[in-house]
Amino acid sequence: MSILQLVANGLVLGAVYALVTLGFVLVVNATGAVNFAHGDLVMAGGYAAILFGSWIKLPLLLLLPLVALAMFVLGVLVCCVAYFPLMKRPPSTVFISTLLTGIILQNTYVVAIGPEVKAGPPLLQGSNLPLGPVVLSPQAIATVMVAALLIGGQYLLFFRTPLGRQLRAVAQDREMAMAIGIPAFRLIAITFGLGAALAGVAGAVLSNQFFVSPTGGVSLSIYGYIAVVIGGWGSIFGAVAGAVIIALFQVVASAFVPYTVATGGLYVALLVILFFRPQGLFGERIQRRV
Amino acid sequence: MVKHSISTSAVVGLGLLAAVPVAARAADVYLPIVVPVTGFMSVAGGSQRNGAVMAAQNAPSGLKVEAPVFDTGTSASGAATALDKALSDKPALAASASVFGTETVAMVPVSADYKVPLLTISGLSKLTESGNKYVFRFLPNDREIKVAHARYVVDTLKAKKIALIGDTTAYGQGGYNLLKEIFEKLGDKPVLAESVEPDAKDMSAVIAKIKDAGADVLVIHGVDQPMALLMKQSRAAGLNIPIVDSSSIVEPTATALFEPTELKNTCAETASAPETRPTPEIAAWADAYKKQFNEEPDSLALGQYDAVMMTMSVIAAGAKTADEVANALNTTTYKGVAMTYKSNGKGDMSHNAEIVCWDGTSRIPKVVATYSDADMILK
Repeated sequence: MSILQLVANGLVLGAVYALVTLGFVLVVNATGAVNFAHGDLVMAGGYAAILFGSWIKLPLLLLLPLVALAMFVLGVLVCCVAYFPLMKRPPSTVFISTLLTGIILQNTYVVAIGPEVKAGPPLLQGSNLPLGPVVLSPQAIATVMVAALLIGGQYLLFFRTPLGRQLRAVAQDREMAMAIGIPAFRLIAITFGLGAALAGVAGAVLSNQFFVSPTGGVSLSIYGYIAVVIGGWGSIFGAVAGAVIIALFQVVASAFVPYTVATGGLYVALLVILFFRPQGLFGERIQRRV
Repeated sequence: MVKHSISTSAVVGLGLLAAVPVAARAADVYLPIVVPVTGFMSVAGGSQRNGAVMAAQNAPSGLKVEAPVFDTGTSASGAATALDKALSDKPALAASASVFGTETVAMVPVSADYKVPLLTISGLSKLTESGNKYVFRFLPNDREIKVAHARYVVDTLKAKKIALIGDTTAYGQGGYNLLKEIFEKLGDKPVLAESVEPDAKDMSAVIAKIKDAGADVLVIHGVDQPMALLMKQSRAAGLNIPIVDSSSIVEPTATALFEPTELKNTCAETASAPETRPTPEIAAWADAYKKQFNEEPDSLALGQYDAVMMTMSVIAAGAKTADEVANALNTTTYKGVAMTYKSNGKGDMSHNAEIVCWDGTSRIPKVVATYSDADMILK
């Protein structure tokens, strides 16, 4: 397997992690809250894909809007249960609240769906495509395209639309935003919904190639958090870069050293970044987070 | 005094499985089931629970059994706490204990404090090597079944360049280290030996190393998710060498992740494969299990079923206290559904292993080799 193939595989995994991280950073940007149930929402998206795929015999790519819609509703529900009642408490309270929500979701999956690992439907089916020295599956190509589309869409939403400006205003100073007439609570609920929709799409995308399981979201929450720390709080580009760096460590670095050493190397790199550049690679200032 | 030989078939009375919950009847024997029902081991724990519940519902005539389920939550501290609660509720004659070695290790001191036998199916070798007389294991010790695993690779497949991959869970590392040691003793040191994280998603790097090492067989020991990802991605990357897996892949929930063609040229070790229905006794038991739980059984469910059935049989034969039950389990030979159980003096009751292989046409494997007793001990 050539180094180019490993890099390509790393970028595909990075695209999946970037999708996970996008919803995470969306909620961070709009509310200042870290949602540690995010990985469990990713799993919910995977389960939704499996459910809808069994009902409607269409390629998953065409079912993604349906998954996103269902997940939007779940995200608003999580906001109402885990965030609104505690939003005026210290940040650590929301951290614990979302962590517990995640555990409740995990056990809900066990009871409602079953504890076993499941594979979702593919985004697209077909033969592998040779692209020069690299071979990619239709699933991999579709994953990268979906990620690119949603990264661009999130950037446009946040920085090119009135809604995005209002969301950023609420994140920076909720009281002031409300004072000038911005409906902060509604926007926060929308943000949680959009974050969950992105998590759902991520879950649907990864369910075929990487499976879903009730506790599979825990590591994804950690990766999302690490990606944001590496990239810089609040930076969409930074979060995506952080996600790709994690994936490249896992896929490319581990081809040259034992996998466990590569994993350790990732966390050492994280410590180095935190020491020398605590605002992250692309962050501009330090904000108070959990 | 307990009789030292019990030949009653464990499947007698399967048709009389009680329709009411086990704990709903007035009970004179308390056998709590302390297993992981939630957390990442909940699939295996669920099978274990089903086997124990089914056995309790099928108690020998005249024995009324209460067998409530306590969830360990797939954590060592949760397991110790759950067992303490189970045993403090009322006097128990034995308890079903977690399949997950990390949990069972934490449960052993609790059982020693209460002097209550633990009935487990965890393969972790050190469980029965610590001198605790209250641990009874009804699936083979990893130290034995890994010999069968390795012998199939070396003696039957005649592999010369073995790639050995484990995962970093306690289960994965236990088997991985044993296999590495056994392969070296058999004179077939692996050309590649590596471990991956259980939450690893992309296996390209490991596959590249296997190809670079020129391996002629891939031996895997680990939990189902990373193992399934490695197998699927290996085949997708054109790595078509034989794969010889650990027993996790034999679970029906694991094989459901594959198309039958993806399983071609794959084998695995297992204590038993009830889904293949190799004997009339196992077939009858497997059909009853499927009818009750609406899913195919696995070796974990059958192992725990036999464990509880043997325990109830020694109680029915006269063991009145937990110590008498422990002594009887140590000295009795019992013909269960899967195999005949007899302690080696350390609490290891099961000394049989099978190698099953898939031919690419079905998710149900076929038994291709069996190992027992001396075959599973490396001199």
